[in-house]
Amino acid sequence: MANENQDSKAVDVSQEIKGRIETKVKYLQELDQAIDQHRDRDVYRLLDNQRYAKEIEHREQQPNDEGVMSLVDDLADQLSSYLSVNLIKYLGKTYPFFYYEEYQTGHYRIYFGNWWDRRRFGELDVLNVRFSFDQTEYEMLNKSFALARKNKRYNSDRINKISSENDRLQDLIDHQREREEKRQHIQEELKDINSHSGLFESSRNRATREELVAQLQKLEDQESESRTAAQTIKENEQVVLALSKENTILSYEQKSIIDTFGSFEDFELANRNLYADYLKSLADDKDAGKQVNAND
Amino acid sequence: MTSNKIENSPTAKINALSDSFKHVLERGQQYVDLLDQLAQTDDAEELLAAAEKLAEQDLHNAFIDFPQHYQAADYCMLFMGRLLEMHNVTSVTVDENGQHEFVAMIDPLEDTSFKFVVSDNGEAAFTEQTQQQPLFYMNLEQRLFQFNNRALVNYFIVYALKKHSDLELRDAIKPLIEFANELADDLNFTINLGILNTANNQRFKLREPNLQLTVIDRLFVKTGETDYMLMNLPQNSGAELLLDQGIKFDLSFDPDDYSQEWAFQVKDPGEQVSFFDILLHYTMVRQWYLADRDALAVRSDQLIIADDEDADNDQLAATIPPEPTEEVMSTTAVDEGPEDDADNDSEAAADEDSEAVTDEEATEQKKHDEDD
Repeated sequence: MANENQDSKAVDVSQEIKGRIETKVKYLQELDQAIDQHRDRDVYRLLDNQRYAKEIEHREQQPNDEGVMSLVDDLADQLSSYLSVNLIKYLGKTYPFFYYEEYQTGHYRIYFGNWWDRRRFGELDVLNVRFSFDQTEYEMLNKSFALARKNKRYNSDRINKISSENDRLQDLIDHQREREEKRQHIQEELKDINSHSGLFESSRNRATREELVAQLQKLEDQESESRTAAQTIKENEQVVLALSKENTILSYEQKSIIDTFGSFEDFELANRNLYADYLKSLADDKDAGKQVNAND
Repeated sequence: MTSNKIENSPTAKINALSDSFKHVLERGQQYVDLLDQLAQTDDAEELLAAAEKLAEQDLHNAFIDFPQHYQAADYCMLFMGRLLEMHNVTSVTVDENGQHEFVAMIDPLEDTSFKFVVSDNGEAAFTEQTQQQPLFYMNLEQRLFQFNNRALVNYFIVYALKKHSDLELRDAIKPLIEFANELADDLNFTINLGILNTANNQRFKLREPNLQLTVIDRLFVKTGETDYMLMNLPQNSGAELLLDQGIKFDLSFDPDDYSQEWAFQVKDPGEQVSFFDILLHYTMVRQWYLADRDALAVRSDQLIIADDEDADNDQLAATIPPEPTEEVMSTTAVDEGPEDDADNDSEAAADEDSEAVTDEEATEQKKHDEDD
């Protein structure tokens, strides 16, 4: 009994194995052919059937067969490199301001723009057809768009603050002589007052003296600050240049997005629809290809 | 130099006087012929020959005083005026001033005039009179012509632009470029248009070998509030400013060249725009350039004027990098300008028939004259 049971079980299992193997072979064959003929849309369908069904065919509830799909897990980098060719060609037209660097097989860094100084903006996830933006960088852009609505630039406040600090320091440098004259004057006064001090110094005299000492101290503080002011101004100018550069980069980015998409919101919308839009464009291309073949 | 031997007999003295008269009268006839030729010929070669010989002529004589005559600088100016006239260029007017000097006026620059200043080596500098800027140099004998980049910037970009529009200045510089091209076409002059050259492949190397990238950062920041964009060139070899109508303004180095020498380059579809034009028309670029001029000044590759040693075998023009720089040239020209005039006078007196008088010879002769 037990044996029989086991036998029938073995039959079931072997059937199941055969079935599974067939599915896997069929999957690999399909993928093989799709790769062979560079049918990228089919490759994407095979790599993520669930998403494909949902976003392209609008069929919800289509679970992925992980057992099959995991077969090519170790080929992710190669598949990414393979699929990047057409994707980057497409993105070159739709996002003309992004540049990509394949820093290792199948891994792409995104650069925003090709201008004099530009930002690294995250990575391109080829297999999932999505931008994986660096959140800090992306947030800066988002904020700069919000500020632009108020006619402000990202670093304006900081630049203004440093600039007025530089004006103050320059003023210190410019008034070195006046300070010196004032200091001598106060010292004279002090000498005068000190001669009246002593045990029976009047409280008024003492107050004046303390006031003069305080003034002298203030002048000396200013003097010592002015000694390093020139250097500080220079350093501040470097900071202002760096901040202005950042402003410029952000304004170039805003300009590019507006030129291509009209607004930041439309840019974000395009990012969300990228998978569907891209695969649809592949379908169009394929139809076009078929027609050419039919004519042959 | 036998004529300088002291003769004591009366007959010898009379003979000397008579010979001198004959010589001078001959010279006078030659002079008149050359003047006619300079004023009347329609042939560029004859015009050049007349100007060149007149510039070398000397009418000073111990016995006969010719009435007022002109200096080498004046013949250069007359030559320029005539050549432009032959080509129907009317915006330059050459006229004589109160000191019997020929000066040029260029339309529409009504507030200044231009004179040639001739230096010891025969180089005539076309010099703007309010700022004393030698805008170009020419050497008739060696058929060389060259614009002075620094002087062009000093006069037109820094100074004249305060009083004139960019379009007026563009008009003013046109006849000078035409003159250079006429020299090249009619008389085979070797010309160097410097920063006025509009060829796309023309590169103007910076005087300073090392450029701090923060200098380019400043241009980048300036573009932030304009519609122009400053792009990065391949292999990080510099920056390219995208201007109107496909004009590209580069500051870059050749990435394949080990020396990494920074240079300006202007590229436009019709090859009609020069580096000078960019400075003239684009306020943003001009302000940036002038604010960091020490770092951004371009070299002047100077055409060699053959000197004493190789005067016989090397009359050809060559371009020598990297010195003298535009800075040096302008300093020399400005500082030594007035002295040059004085030198020319004394040298013209010393110069006999010798075709090309070298500095050394001139000095020797001067000493000799003093000995007399």
